[in-house]
Amino acid sequence: MQLNKTGIALFLFFGLGGLAFVIAGVVIPLPAEGRFTFILLGGIWVLVVVGLILFARREDQKADHQDWVFKNGIHGTATVLDAGSNTTVNEMPLMKLKLALDIPGVGRSEVKRREVMPVFTANRMQPGLVLPAYSNPQDPNDFVLVW
Amino acid sequence: MSDLDAAYSSFAADHGLEVIPSFAAGPLTPLLVESGAGQLGPAARGTLGEGVEGIVGHLAYTRNKTFRFSVALTEVPASTAFLPRLFCVRKGRHTRDDEFYGFEARYSKLWTESTKLNERYTVSISPFQDPVWLRQLFSPALVDWLASEPPADFSFELAYGALLGSVEQDNPDAAALAALCEATAHVAARVRRECEE
Repeated sequence: MQLNKTGIALFLFFGLGGLAFVIAGVVIPLPAEGRFTFILLGGIWVLVVVGLILFARREDQKADHQDWVFKNGIHGTATVLDAGSNTTVNEMPLMKLKLALDIPGVGRSEVKRREVMPVFTANRMQPGLVLPAYSNPQDPNDFVLVW
Repeated sequence: MSDLDAAYSSFAADHGLEVIPSFAAGPLTPLLVESGAGQLGPAARGTLGEGVEGIVGHLAYTRNKTFRFSVALTEVPASTAFLPRLFCVRKGRHTRDDEFYGFEARYSKLWTESTKLNERYTVSISPFQDPVWLRQLFSPALVDWLASEPPADFSFELAYGALLGSVEQDNPDAAALAALCEATAHVAARVRRECEE
């Protein structure tokens, strides 16, 4: 997953809005209950934004790692054995894939992979489909599926 | 007969295509996914140009507001192995008005090597695309052509062998449909040639 423009706008809105609520709760002379409400609401907004920023950073690191495996990995294939989805994330199916991973010099193994895919890609994930795969030379279980 | 039906009939008659009331393209490309089932109607099938067979049709859907496109759909099956996804979309085009998600699947990355192309289009590809192959496809001749020849709003999406050319239009006339088909066929022929090489 990666952050898009809408995400950045939402982060700014809720991050700055949350900070404004917290500051307002501290600065504006209000009854204690009012201050508490402002600070609590602002604090929750800020905490959620911080959590999502950490998530976005982790996803970025994962993407960088996948790019590294793609550039430096061993080129093999992954055959779809089974594919299905009963969950969507932001209107995109979370696909559960069972794959036969075949990496030269490593051998063939059955692996499972969960990937959020756009609908036009998910529809193609049928048993028998052979996709390119790149495996980390240091860790055969670490691979990039090219879809 | 509506203006739209008349335009398709006239275009089909002039270019030897067969008019069909509707065609279910399915969710083959991002634009077709946005529309739901990818239902085209009216539509016409036959040769789009340069020996490329396909279907041209009207795509309309509502996502808060109603979007209307003329689309031309064809296949370049050989492209899947070399170029699984290539989206060349006119800058500033919106295909939905209800996008509120902050995160999206990392399924494409921008290709920004050609300034001339990027002035008019947003070009995105698979994150794991071979850049050398793409540079060969986007030859100076193709870049020049894309920058100046196709209809103003022309965009195309190539996904796993399905190529969809599109222009945002409410009521296209026969000439507009012909220009769309010609542009889509030109892209299809170029991709096909590059795959063969």
